[in-house]
Amino acid sequence: MTEITGVDPKGNESVGRAVQRKEDYRFLIGRGHYVSDLRLPGTRHVAFLRSPLAHAKINSIDISSALEADFVEAIFTGESDPFKSVSLIARSALPSYIETAQPILAWDKVRFSGEPIAAVVATDRYLAEDGLELIEVEYERLPANVSAWSTPAEPLHKEALDNVLLERRFQSGDVKDALAGAEVVIERELISNRQGGNPLECRAGVALFEPGDGTLQFWSGTQVPHLVRNALAELMGMSEAKIRVVAPDVGGGFGTKAALYPEDVAICMIARLMPGTPIKWVEDRAEHLLSATHARDHRYLVTAGFSSDGTLLALKADVTCNVGAYSVYPWTAGIEPLMAGGLLSGPYRLENYDCMVRAVATNSSPSGPYRGVARPASVFAMEAIMDEAARRLGMSTIDIRRKNFIGPQDIPYKMPTRLVDDSGHYERCLDKALELFDLDQFLEEQQRRRGTNEPPIGFGVACYNELTGLGRAASAGPRMPFRTGHDACTVKVNPDGTVTVFSGVTSQGQGLETTVAQIVADGIGVDYDDVQVRIGNTDESLWGFGAFSSRQAVIGGGAAQLSALVVRDKVIRLASELLEIDINDLILRDGKIWVAGEVEPRLSLAEIARVAYLESNRLPDGMEPGLEATRFYDPIRGAFAAGVQIGSLEVDVSTGEIRILKWVCVEDAGRVINPAIVDGQIAGAIAQGIGGAMYEHLIYDGDGNLSTGTLMDYLIPTSGEIPEMIIGHLQFPADNPLGVRGVGEGGTLGPNAVIAGAVADALGILVDQLPVTEGAVWEGLQ
Amino acid sequence: MRVTLSVNGKPATIDVEPRRTLADALREDLGLTGTHLGCEHGVCGACTVMLDGLPVRACLVLAVQAEGASLLTVEGLAGEDGALHPLQQSFTEHHALQCGFCTPGMLISALDLLNRIPNPTRAEIRSEMSGNICRCTGYNSITDAILAAARSLTQKD
Ligand code: FES
Ligand code: FES
Repeated sequence: MTEITGVDPKGNESVGRAVQRKEDYRFLIGRGHYVSDLRLPGTRHVAFLRSPLAHAKINSIDISSALEADFVEAIFTGESDPFKSVSLIARSALPSYIETAQPILAWDKVRFSGEPIAAVVATDRYLAEDGLELIEVEYERLPANVSAWSTPAEPLHKEALDNVLLERRFQSGDVKDALAGAEVVIERELISNRQGGNPLECRAGVALFEPGDGTLQFWSGTQVPHLVRNALAELMGMSEAKIRVVAPDVGGGFGTKAALYPEDVAICMIARLMPGTPIKWVEDRAEHLLSATHARDHRYLVTAGFSSDGTLLALKADVTCNVGAYSVYPWTAGIEPLMAGGLLSGPYRLENYDCMVRAVATNSSPSGPYRGVARPASVFAMEAIMDEAARRLGMSTIDIRRKNFIGPQDIPYKMPTRLVDDSGHYERCLDKALELFDLDQFLEEQQRRRGTNEPPIGFGVACYNELTGLGRAASAGPRMPFRTGHDACTVKVNPDGTVTVFSGVTSQGQGLETTVAQIVADGIGVDYDDVQVRIGNTDESLWGFGAFSSRQAVIGGGAAQLSALVVRDKVIRLASELLEIDINDLILRDGKIWVAGEVEPRLSLAEIARVAYLESNRLPDGMEPGLEATRFYDPIRGAFAAGVQIGSLEVDVSTGEIRILKWVCVEDAGRVINPAIVDGQIAGAIAQGIGGAMYEHLIYDGDGNLSTGTLMDYLIPTSGEIPEMIIGHLQFPADNPLGVRGVGEGGTLGPNAVIAGAVADALGILVDQLPVTEGAVWEGLQ
Repeated sequence: MRVTLSVNGKPATIDVEPRRTLADALREDLGLTGTHLGCEHGVCGACTVMLDGLPVRACLVLAVQAEGASLLTVEGLAGEDGALHPLQQSFTEHHALQCGFCTPGMLISALDLLNRIPNPTRAEIRSEMSGNICRCTGYNSITDAILAAARSLTQKD
């Protein structure tokens, strides 16, 4: 393993340490600032009327009795401007892509149960909800369709009569030929379950239009404030200079809050119609389950050919993703299918690939980004194929993976989809995971139990790669009108020598205030406690795309590092002038300037900063006052992160109940900035993955009613279900300024495959459908 | 209706509609926004507060039911000087919070757990805390934190 060393060892380095998070104290004492906590004087609350039907024409909306109620301050519907003239249209230049127009408030037609139709404004949320009951809507039912692989009776959008919004074929080599020469050909139909990110804080927004200067302020629990400002300006016909979007503390996101929603635009429009009045909307969980984005409702039809020694020769797939009623803004309906097709073969070498992916609209909440985007499902499909090939060839599930891994000798490896893998450390991850798991001991126990009445046990393995920190070349996939390769960061040394950072990153629990402070502290050479990081405010940071694709440590972190180094350089130059000592002999460390070899520092950073800001007469010729730098960073490509998970479980054959016995995960996160945060990301992602594999399932009935509309039906796992985890690391530095690889999503990719593989191993049954619930296992046993 | 109660040791009087939840009264009427709402139907535990020494879900209790009661919310855990309660300290040391949204409910439920079982096992912590959802941490760090806090609290006694 490559050893990691710092840029240059300097005193109190904070990178690599689990420093106390900057966020923790305020969260622990109940002084976090979440959007719902914002209490501006004169605030009015909004409640949305939502469609009870999945598919219907709206014949009329009667708001007259609601308007008569004295507790209702205003009601807005979609058939009048500005609502009617604006819709959310996610754009992409992909040839087969069909755009959909998502209304802000539906007025001629509803396309999913939960779609917003009207907004009532009142002095509090209770009264606003009372107002909803007074609105009469006359619907004309249309046939609803919630399955992406059944023929629709009535299309959702007239532009797509077959409901297909996008189709794309990935092709490389000659699949037909390769399959003909294969020793074993495997065919499977694999289906993954619809889920939602369900951050513990639901969506929320407060909008205030200031009539004095025509500015709009929007506090939103968004993961992407700069994109939101950009979109709001366009949608509302305002200048970006007059819009400020603030994402304060956000209670989890996981992708769900990376979309711009109709409700967001609605409250901004209402604020403009009610100048000077803060307009607040706080979503409840029932609304969230109905109308925040869903994900992972996919079907994979896969044919794979292997040679007798287990080599994967060809992979043919047909992937259908249920993208819900609209193409999610701004990511497009391509987000899941393109990711599924682009990375289906995962960490395995493959030449012959033929994969058709499609996005199909149905009468369900739109699908959007959710931690791991598509890959929890695609890894499940690929690993099911590997497991079955091993069984058919009489190999172990471990050996067949070893046989096919992309290895360090293959790097850079061009995948059949032309993505370039820069990792190749899958086998090392697997070795370490096996060691931590202790496979021999497990196999012995499995053997022993076979002769007894004790519950059978099985183990499953998932090997995956995650493309993280995508630069401009790697983020080209969906061909949206923006490339998400870069972020900016401004680093400023204040006149007293403390540091303020204005970073374009956002945080929904990932601790970016901490991570960025660690990077900047070391980059400049100051104490971590002297660095304050400001994030999530479009008036403060120059630019950042936000939190998605495990990109922020790589890209936002890279920008922070570059800016810090520029500032450091200026401090040293100024110090060199002031001390009349060569720059090469000066060191900035712990906020002080040292001359190499001396035991006492010569100057403090505060003294230098004072000169930079307050005594320009002492500045050398040509040097501008101030100590500040802004830099962008774009890694151009991405950094692949390798990961392996192995888990074991036992099954109660009389009930189908599964008990997880052991869970191991080894990931290559590159250089680790904060080990506690990195492990926390991995553990949290695994827990979400286990939730999706065993419990979480958004189920619509045939009429398109969501039958899992509360947390009593949509089961998020608790401490009672999630097992202890053993997390191991490899640290192969990536090719970026910090050597980091993204780590936010990888953990979600393994559990589907591990659980399905382990149940198959324990019981000798094939698992083709997720989630693997107690009931499903019991049925499989009958 | 007028409701008189004590919150974190201080007397408070509020005037609320009978249908107002305790959670909304705390957050909106008393400005104590540390108590969070994650579901508003009694499942997630984010809104957990102590009412007369017992944990309740503030989204399922009406404010009027708290007449005469003494409440403890997350804002009442730290000392007057801002010093963290051992549970709070342990949560930060073990990285038992990420977004912090579940944290107020977790801390109150954990306090109740340690009041009843001062020396819990990991398994007891996992089962006792299973009424509080955390979407971020995966629970292992929360279990670690409660275990460590239990140790430090019992050592002090
Ligand atoms: S908000 Fe009260 S239990 Fe979820
Ligand atoms: S820390 Fe985010 S929900 Fe627990």
